[in-house]
Amino acid sequence: MKTPTEDHDLIRWLDGEMTAAERERFAARLESDPVLKADAEALLQLGAALRAHLPGEMPLPHADFFNSQIQVRIAQEDEPARSGAPSRGRWLEWFRLPSFATALAAAAAVVIAGVMIWQQDETGESMVLSTYTPNPGVQARAFHSQEAQATVLMLDGLEAMPADHKIVGYHIQHSEREQDVATTLYGERGEVVLVVSEDSHHQPRLLSVSTQP
Amino acid sequence: MPAPTAPDPGEVPDSDLVKRCQAGDTRAFDALVTRYRGKVYAMTYHMIQNETEAWDLSQEAFIKAWRALPQFKLDSSFYTWLYRITHNVTYDWLRKKKIQGDGEFDDSHTEHRVAAGAETVPHGDPAPDVAMKRMELGERIRDAIAQLSPDHRQVILLREVDGLAYEEIAEVVPCSLGTVMSRLFYARKKLQELLKDAYENAD
Repeated sequence: MKTPTEDHDLIRWLDGEMTAAERERFAARLESDPVLKADAEALLQLGAALRAHLPGEMPLPHADFFNSQIQVRIAQEDEPARSGAPSRGRWLEWFRLPSFATALAAAAAVVIAGVMIWQQDETGESMVLSTYTPNPGVQARAFHSQEAQATVLMLDGLEAMPADHKIVGYHIQHSEREQDVATTLYGERGEVVLVVSEDSHHQPRLLSVSTQP
Repeated sequence: MPAPTAPDPGEVPDSDLVKRCQAGDTRAFDALVTRYRGKVYAMTYHMIQNETEAWDLSQEAFIKAWRALPQFKLDSSFYTWLYRITHNVTYDWLRKKKIQGDGEFDDSHTEHRVAAGAETVPHGDPAPDVAMKRMELGERIRDAIAQLSPDHRQVILLREVDGLAYEEIAEVVPCSLGTVMSRLFYARKKLQELLKDAYENAD
């Protein structure tokens, strides 16, 4: 029966944690002990299989949104007074769910493909802290003109949006109860294009969709 | 949002970015997030095998790292320090979910394969052991990893997947070097046992 030290020797040899002298001595042991050599080769094979099938780095879904949410949370923690709507981050989280994207597929052509995270600055005016577009081919930019008292959202890459059906604004309706929060997107004639809310399990609930121009 | 003017984050050493973070530079932290998000996500994903939860836990790890950065003395590498935070966040989650491997079979990882109410051995279907042999090696490995205890799972992932040295693993976990070696030995033996028939069936 092997001692713990012998087991550790095998482990240290496998992991390259031996000195050159130790490695030389262990190599001699391997040559003289077929059982130990077979065990070592099996463990080498196991290690190779693990590395082949378990990547050390994986592409993060919605990586840009991941970064932007971290920046938003840092900003909120640094200036608690500016985080007027603590439930908003959670409320917007499900925008990145695949099921939500699927549910909105029919309306995607007429809906602004993005999430804008808003905050009030010291003067009480809205500013866009972060933007996120589920479609990586769509780039969102925001410009605020204090003089015009307007924020312009520019979406590049939205090929499918018909020119005759513009989204001119949206409104997030809050209430004291989180499940009553709803987001409404409006077309250029003021008509409601989309209303989404969330259920008691914080899952997206599509309340109304209109795709008619 | 102003256009970034900093040099390519890949060219700036971690220690420089950390110092800028400690001075309140959130863009430097964004560069660190970009640099390590794939590794942190992979680590949490391999630990809990749930994409959505791994995404959230990875974000939580970075938020905790930002909060703790003022206390970070740069006495270890940033990624080792970050992995330790990720380790703590993941363990907190595992504790809350009461997922306990420790050599026990955890059916939460395989419940999707057997429908509730299905016949124990359906006629015409391969026997369970034959079906298991047909599983792809990758899936076999992920299942085997899931059957390790969190302690053993963590050290084998840190060593084989992330390539950390024993001293770094001991710092992340944290534990002694002897414990690192013992856990690695046990984890490998357990994986060998669980995967003993896998290689001969692999392509």
